[in-house]
Amino acid sequence: MSSDVILVIVVATALAFDFTNGFHDTANVVATSISTGAARPQVAIGFASLLNFAGAFISISVAATVANDVVDAAVVTPTVVFAGLIGAIAWNLITWSFGLPSSSSHALIGGVVGSAVAAAGFNAVLADGLVGKVLIPAVIAPILALLVAGIGIGLVYRIVGKQRPGTVTRGFRYGQIISGGMLALAHGTNDAQKTMGVITLALVANGTLGANADPPLWVIVASATAIALGTYSGGWRIIRTTGTRIIKMDAAQGFSAQGAGAAVILASTHFGFPLSTTHVINGGVMGAGAGKRVSAVRWGVAGNIVTAWLLTLPAAAAIGAAAYGITAIFGDGALGPILVTLMSLSLIAAVFTRRSRQGAPVPAS
Amino acid sequence: MAVVVETKELLETVIASVVAGVGITVVFSVGIWGAARFADLSRAERPLAAAAAAAAAALAGLITAAAVVFGVVIMSSK
Repeated sequence: MSSDVILVIVVATALAFDFTNGFHDTANVVATSISTGAARPQVAIGFASLLNFAGAFISISVAATVANDVVDAAVVTPTVVFAGLIGAIAWNLITWSFGLPSSSSHALIGGVVGSAVAAAGFNAVLADGLVGKVLIPAVIAPILALLVAGIGIGLVYRIVGKQRPGTVTRGFRYGQIISGGMLALAHGTNDAQKTMGVITLALVANGTLGANADPPLWVIVASATAIALGTYSGGWRIIRTTGTRIIKMDAAQGFSAQGAGAAVILASTHFGFPLSTTHVINGGVMGAGAGKRVSAVRWGVAGNIVTAWLLTLPAAAAIGAAAYGITAIFGDGALGPILVTLMSLSLIAAVFTRRSRQGAPVPAS
Repeated sequence: MAVVVETKELLETVIASVVAGVGITVVFSVGIWGAARFADLSRAERPLAAAAAAAAAALAGLITAAAVVFGVVIMSSK
């Protein structure tokens, strides 16, 4: 009975994380289409939400990596997964509060690794999977997106540079319906699968599923719904802040950036690499900007991303470990997770109160 | 504690990303170039050249659509 209560809390927490992931990332997915005038905000956000939902159904490779290749499922309990999720959510809230561009994906993996180490020591971490499938792709993917977008926009300007600007702009705006759609699909498939993987890990730990099981259909549907609703909800906030926060670029740059981001995320997803979609999309935007004029890119943003990347995994791991430690004080029952959930809800309320006093929130992405 | 770098998968990811990302961008650009040239050549009353530009635009559009469908099919086949 107690383990079932913990499992319900874990699933609810995971879906809440998935919702906030979509909420955070709406800006990344739709900003380019809106800023180039390719789509009205309402249309872009509705379209992105639908394709986020659809994207969650096209692959389970990333879910398998999160469930099987990061921590040893044999030593993981639902409480470990719960503490990992708390680590991720808390770090996301902290960075959101301070406007730091952190990655929800890295926070999730860091949180789970930290809580697993707190529960079972460093032997709980599958170093091969963590380094080979998470850390190395995390470094390569944004750089790859930057290069692909930079090369792409360079070739675009060579091909259409002498044509009438009006025709070219109109053409690439139509193209952005495709590239923006593919980006939303890619975002949905890579990010929703992380939640699927975590819920599957909890179900395996609880004995509900066998080892190395695929995510059940209800987990896929629930994860797809949560991220799509998060994207849709986050969008309305972005509409209000669009004018000041989105980097101005032309339609050809938007098409190149979105195409590069979608290509990198989809290819990585196929091989089960759980990326930070935020970092990849930002890499694509910077590449498309640099391809036109290097000084047009706000390179300080790249520095912030690198700093946040370096901080996110260890910080989320530390919070995940602390959450597990607090939970463990109350034994193996449901009391610990319930108390930590209440503490987390208090943190959420405090963060939102702080932000509302400071004005419009900055998407932590 | 040996660390396995998934070289083959990473290399395939890089190749697929470059081919898809740069390839589709270039092909779509050729489509826009074709559409723009078609409009200009039609105005200049050069029907043969305009038809060739229109054919290039249509072919580029078809390749772009096929590449997107192919990508989604590959993704969902694993």
